[in-house]
Amino acid sequence: MTGRIFNIKKLIPGYPVPIALLITFRIFFGSLMFLSILRFWWRGWVTSLYIEPKFHFTYTGFEWVHPPGYWGVHLLFLLVALAAFFITVGFLYRIASIVFFAGFTYIELIDVTTYLNHYYFVSLIAFILIWLPANRNYSLDVLLWPDKTKHFVPASSVGIIRFQLALVYIFAGLAKLNADWLLHAQPMRIWLPAKTHLPIIGIYMYETWVAYLFSWFGAAYDLLIVFFLLNKKTRPWAYCLVVIFHVATAIFFPAIGMFPYVMIICSLIFFSARFHEKLLSFFPFYRSRKEILQTTGYTYRFRYGKVLLVGMGIYIFLQVLIPLRFLLYPGNLFWNEEGYRFSWRVMLMEKSGSTYFTVKDKIHQQSFEVNNAEFLTPLQEKMMSTQPDMILKYAHFLAREYKNRGVQNPEVYGEIYVALNGGRSQLFVDSSINLAAEPLTWKHYEWILPYKK
Amino acid sequence: MKKRSLIIALTVGIVVFYACKKSTSGPEPSPTPGAFDKVAMLTDYADKIIIPGYSTMQQKILALQVASDAFLAAPSTATQAAVKTAYTDVHLQYVRIAAFQFGPAETNLLDVFANFSGGLDYSFTTAGQLTGFSIDSSTIENNISSGTYDLTLMSRSSLYSQGFPAINYLFFGPNAIAKFNSNTANRVKYAKAIIARLKSLVDTVANGWTTYRSEFISNTKTNAGSPIGNLVNQFAYQIDLLKGPRIGWPFGKQSNGSLFVSKTEAYFAGISTALAIENLSALKNTFTGGGSGKGMSDYLVALNKAALNTDVLAQFDVALAKLRLVPDPLSSSLTSHSAEVDQAYKEIQKLLTLLKTDVASATAVQITFVDNDGD
Repeated sequence: MTGRIFNIKKLIPGYPVPIALLITFRIFFGSLMFLSILRFWWRGWVTSLYIEPKFHFTYTGFEWVHPPGYWGVHLLFLLVALAAFFITVGFLYRIASIVFFAGFTYIELIDVTTYLNHYYFVSLIAFILIWLPANRNYSLDVLLWPDKTKHFVPASSVGIIRFQLALVYIFAGLAKLNADWLLHAQPMRIWLPAKTHLPIIGIYMYETWVAYLFSWFGAAYDLLIVFFLLNKKTRPWAYCLVVIFHVATAIFFPAIGMFPYVMIICSLIFFSARFHEKLLSFFPFYRSRKEILQTTGYTYRFRYGKVLLVGMGIYIFLQVLIPLRFLLYPGNLFWNEEGYRFSWRVMLMEKSGSTYFTVKDKIHQQSFEVNNAEFLTPLQEKMMSTQPDMILKYAHFLAREYKNRGVQNPEVYGEIYVALNGGRSQLFVDSSINLAAEPLTWKHYEWILPYKK
Repeated sequence: MKKRSLIIALTVGIVVFYACKKSTSGPEPSPTPGAFDKVAMLTDYADKIIIPGYSTMQQKILALQVASDAFLAAPSTATQAAVKTAYTDVHLQYVRIAAFQFGPAETNLLDVFANFSGGLDYSFTTAGQLTGFSIDSSTIENNISSGTYDLTLMSRSSLYSQGFPAINYLFFGPNAIAKFNSNTANRVKYAKAIIARLKSLVDTVANGWTTYRSEFISNTKTNAGSPIGNLVNQFAYQIDLLKGPRIGWPFGKQSNGSLFVSKTEAYFAGISTALAIENLSALKNTFTGGGSGKGMSDYLVALNKAALNTDVLAQFDVALAKLRLVPDPLSSSLTSHSAEVDQAYKEIQKLLTLLKTDVASATAVQITFVDNDGD
């Protein structure tokens, strides 16, 4: 049964598959990353996100990550852009991929505000690429060191990318299987009426059934597309659907930025080696393996294959586990957002909030209302107002800040209102709790008030 | 096999779902929002509120110019009183259109040069700082004595020495009439320059709308910088100004109760509360589109948010009622009517939450003044 869909032998990690798959992936991913970095720069986000803010929301465990100053940040972006270019052309590939992964991830770790699922995805793919022999053909590296040329790679090196992509889609699909999405067509019912400016389809955007159609189709697409991509028969149609779907999301929701293009490019990995060889034949100077007569070193072998295989097993295990950690937390996931990030929950809810913080001294003689705009950029404030861990980090920052201003043992109280998926705003955290005294923890925050439907 | 059954399961799911939907008829009364005409809404805003607002402003500035010329020719309490009436008219009209800080007003930085609020990102720590609705009297005096100044400068001292802050100081400040008796030529020249600059800014913006109008009414997007996005953001921003520089910060909310009486808006004219009330009631009027049936509030109703709309309108009224209990000048009411000020402040904050969170969320508008990727 499965044999009809794909060669079962390809599930054996060491089974040789043509390297073409990795080559096109390297070139497409590298050049897309290069363009993304340039775009980021061009839009002025390097300055507005990493230079202007006075305070950054660090990730727990990564408090040591700081933007390295004006020139440092720009230099870091230059380095990452250069690394992406080197990956594309396959020059000093191993070093370039390490630099890209480390640099890109460092930038992402500076501020939780800028967390995006597809940035996390890029970091993961970059991490995977470090270990893969994607430079062993059609690269500057093999031009310089021809004896490094390989024509086949272990199936696991392609399999791990396919796994990563499948994981994104399926978890994104599973995340949509909730009452708000399926039964109430939320947040589509909020987002679509804002899209009536679109030509032709715009007039349908007020229709409730369209919101349901979008919701259900989106969920079905995410859940099933991988299986249609894996099946040789359905693959071309499935890929057309990938392109149409992601281009549509780019038109409807321009704010999702590079995400659709990342998925369009990366989904090519599901095509066969023959397809990729055909694709590469359009590239200048490409010589297929039939044109190159070579008898030794035909297939790439991982040097510490068994160790790597164990590592891969652990990686896969963690990747499946991390998006499921939300199950350990009580309450409404969308409301509490505990175990929400790093779980492929993309475009899933409409949430916004207003936050009013008050700092008091220990004996409550002094009272200062906080002006958030004094410390946070509008984007930081917007992100903080709906995410408990950011609220807590901000409260801790405020306590330090007001202590420096001379307030004795400052206590921080938050009056915070949040609206979720078209519901009315309601009090988000217990406003009688001194947040400055509440610890950052992986446990459930008892001070979040339960969501009332 | 598996695949096919999945597809079947899904199809069945959808069919069953819709069948159920029909039979139970759902708890929500009318799930399909009526096709709301956004172009009509924006056209109404442009033609009935914004553009007439600017032409009224132009007329009132002309009247102010006449009154001020009369005063500058013969400074007296009578001519000063005439200026005060004309200026009050202008400033009240200004706060009625203050929410339209986009398009030509944004390009020409009208709000910054006419009625600088100091921005929302400044803290009130010491009275000596140029924050909120400060008036930079020393720069004004320097400009007068030197006779040379560049009113297009973007520095804080430049912004606090022109527009309404300068008019307040020059015409209604301490010993205003007496001061025109020394260094008269330079002082008169500066006063005229300030009013001429205000006039030219408003004229530029008003003229700008003749070309900007078509762009405004045809763009029905809701993203950052779109007309609808701008309107919703301005509702929140104006209430933020009310909560911050207009009332809350001079009232000492940021500063453990230390008052900043001289940083109340239009300090020397003493009309801060009147301006706040006018700003808020104009905002309500803008929200309802002047009752045209094509306003933002009607858009909310079309989006099945009638209850929210009712609550927002009610909260506007509550906040306005509380504000009306605070007499002018605000600078003395901050101490003499502190309980009333505090009450008004609380209701303004509730209104802010409704506009910034509930209304923005319902209309899919992001309250952020920058564009950025998101997911």
